[in-house]
Amino acid sequence: MELSLSDNALKTFSRSITCLARVGNELVFQASSSQLALHTLNSLRSAYQSVTFKPNFFDVYRISSTQVQCSVLLKAVCSVFRTPIASIDNLTVKLADPDASKIQWALTCYSGMKKSYWITCNVEPDIQHLSLDRRRFPSNFVVRPRDLNRLLANFQSSLPEITIIATEPTSLPSYAASEIGGKAVELRSYIDPTKENDSSLHTQLWTDPSEEFVQYTHTGNPVDVTFSMKELKAFLTFCEGCEVDIHLFLDKAGEPILLAPKFGLDDGSVSNFDAALVLATMLTSQLNEGNPSEPVQAATTIHNQAGTEAQERFRANVSEHPSDHTRIWSDLSGSAARSGNGVEERPVKIPQNLNASEQRNIQRVSMMQTTEDAPIRENIPAAPSFTHGKVEKDHEAGAQDRSQINVHGLSQRHPSNWVDANEEEDGDDDNELCVQSTPPYYEER
Amino acid sequence: MSSSAVEAEAPDLVCQLDSVQGMVDALSAVRWKRHQDAVVELSEHGVVLIVEDTGCLQAKVYLQRELFVRYEYNAEGRPRFGVSLGLFVDCLNSFSAPGRSSSIQIQYPGPDMQLLLKSVDSHDACIYAEIRTRIPDTISWDYNFEPAGGTPLTFTVKVLYSLGVIISAALKEAIDDLEWPGSSIQIIVQPDPPCVTFKGEGHGDLQIDFTYYVNTDLVIAFHCDHRVSYRYKYKFLRAITSNLPSSVIKDNRGSKLSIGRGGMLKVQHLVSVARAAAASHPHVDSAGHQQPSRIAYIEFFVKSEVDENN
Repeated sequence: MELSLSDNALKTFSRSITCLARVGNELVFQASSSQLALHTLNSLRSAYQSVTFKPNFFDVYRISSTQVQCSVLLKAVCSVFRTPIASIDNLTVKLADPDASKIQWALTCYSGMKKSYWITCNVEPDIQHLSLDRRRFPSNFVVRPRDLNRLLANFQSSLPEITIIATEPTSLPSYAASEIGGKAVELRSYIDPTKENDSSLHTQLWTDPSEEFVQYTHTGNPVDVTFSMKELKAFLTFCEGCEVDIHLFLDKAGEPILLAPKFGLDDGSVSNFDAALVLATMLTSQLNEGNPSEPVQAATTIHNQAGTEAQERFRANVSEHPSDHTRIWSDLSGSAARSGNGVEERPVKIPQNLNASEQRNIQRVSMMQTTEDAPIRENIPAAPSFTHGKVEKDHEAGAQDRSQINVHGLSQRHPSNWVDANEEEDGDDDNELCVQSTPPYYEER
Repeated sequence: MSSSAVEAEAPDLVCQLDSVQGMVDALSAVRWKRHQDAVVELSEHGVVLIVEDTGCLQAKVYLQRELFVRYEYNAEGRPRFGVSLGLFVDCLNSFSAPGRSSSIQIQYPGPDMQLLLKSVDSHDACIYAEIRTRIPDTISWDYNFEPAGGTPLTFTVKVLYSLGVIISAALKEAIDDLEWPGSSIQIIVQPDPPCVTFKGEGHGDLQIDFTYYVNTDLVIAFHCDHRVSYRYKYKFLRAITSNLPSSVIKDNRGSKLSIGRGGMLKVQHLVSVARAAAASHPHVDSAGHQQPSRIAYIEFFVKSEVDENN
């Protein structure tokens, strides 16, 4: 096998290696006459990334036999790319024969220096291959990298997992900007409920997909997916560098999500490379009350979700007091985070004295229900309530109240997002730290 | 100056330097460890500072008398003393301040055999320092390249086997890259194609070639009669370029590589010790090269691991 590349192709290749190195440890090369595929699977088997290149991506593309396959350590490949790309004239990758023990990476620099790296091939490569049909995902959206960057900037940079909740963009009449109906997508920081020392920043962001996304498709009940931020950020950097939009395909909690670059108007036909990142998502939906006998959270491997291999689970410590789960949501800062550009904080605290439009909202809440039939257990409010600044020590009563709302209607938003008027009987510090965000909006109408 | 009225002897050396930063740059180039004991040798030609590591690596800094604004040498013979290199450089650093004249006067010996430093021409403050010195250990080896049949020379060398002059920045980049493969680096110089090759083998292999083309600025000069190949420990090669002053990179200087008898590797750097305002110096030409008197010579000697040559 012999490949040679330079200029922009070399930059894209270098970016691919960087992204792959942020996902997994081992890089698998699969070269055939039709394409070169690089892929990696992380050690937890919860993230799989592949980048494929067509032969015309390269200056030289020569494959001796029908298919060449080998695997190397990504760290070693990253050493090759320590040399600044701007100083490299050409990179040639050579594998002398399909059974060769080393791959040669030869860099010719503009200065005249020639660097040849020989990287040892792994003797027993763990070659997994995963391909998901993009058409099987019911929902998807396309977002520009800089827009997604801007949205993610609202979250704590060290946040390990994030939840995306996709709902159907409502067709109800809008009561202008404050109407929640326009904010069909929510991004929410996922916080491990079993973590004892929780001093991290919790963030929720409701966005209007028509303003933030290039394209958004979701019909039916709300779905949520919770997945790792690390690989998302790696892929975001990759797409940003390649100047392509990010296409994210999702199904529902527990099913993997797929991210791919979105080239131009038609899907990838103009581009000579493509990429796919498959991330496992948490089994437990953030929208539902979970079955308490199951672990509060469990992440599955993508293989299980793709139905090929045994599942690995992370068993949560279920002995944790369940009300901690809800309390974390109420530890938000006193003032709602406000950022412009169509991202607005949803008013979640409904004051006692409701004006007309507020009452209309309450009625909407009453008509909502979850789609889940799971029995509502008093002690496990899996969907937290969002009360800004209100510390709720005992929440069981509130949970029960919410469960009554759940009974009827289709939910667009989980009713636990809303603090029912009844619930204020629990709190004694209603006015303290509570952001009366509703009145300004509603009064302006 | 004199220690007492009774002994009216002049000190061995009183010299004045108009740019401390240059001297700091030159001396820093031979720092590769936190604690290094240096031997300083004074002569009528200038000052030489020598550091050594485990008998396999030696570095010398030559500060010729022409670099100094004033150089009064009164000793008989060549006085030598030992001083801590880190301490000396840190002390010199304290004299240099940006935007201020940093002339200093260095005198040896003080009343107690110290090295005395004093700031000069500073209107608002006077900085004064004394550094304790010690009797130096004899240097275990003092390598001089020997021309065939000639007497050893100390300040000039004649190359025996082969040489190449490689751009210092590129040499540094190559040695940084060679960190990946492993601990033993092979250097091969061959006449056809005219090339200096660095090769490291370990959990992976890396080979870096510097080929002599007439039209590139990577290898400035090249001379080789027959192929030579020797191995050197990576950590010693690393010491050669790890603290190269940025002025060397900026001035686009070349480093001279020579391999002599027994595989002894010699690398010579040129470090400018001129003042920062040298742009107005009348002798600076367009390429940034200055008169030789404004350049300090740094030499590294590395013993090879195994004599593979023939």
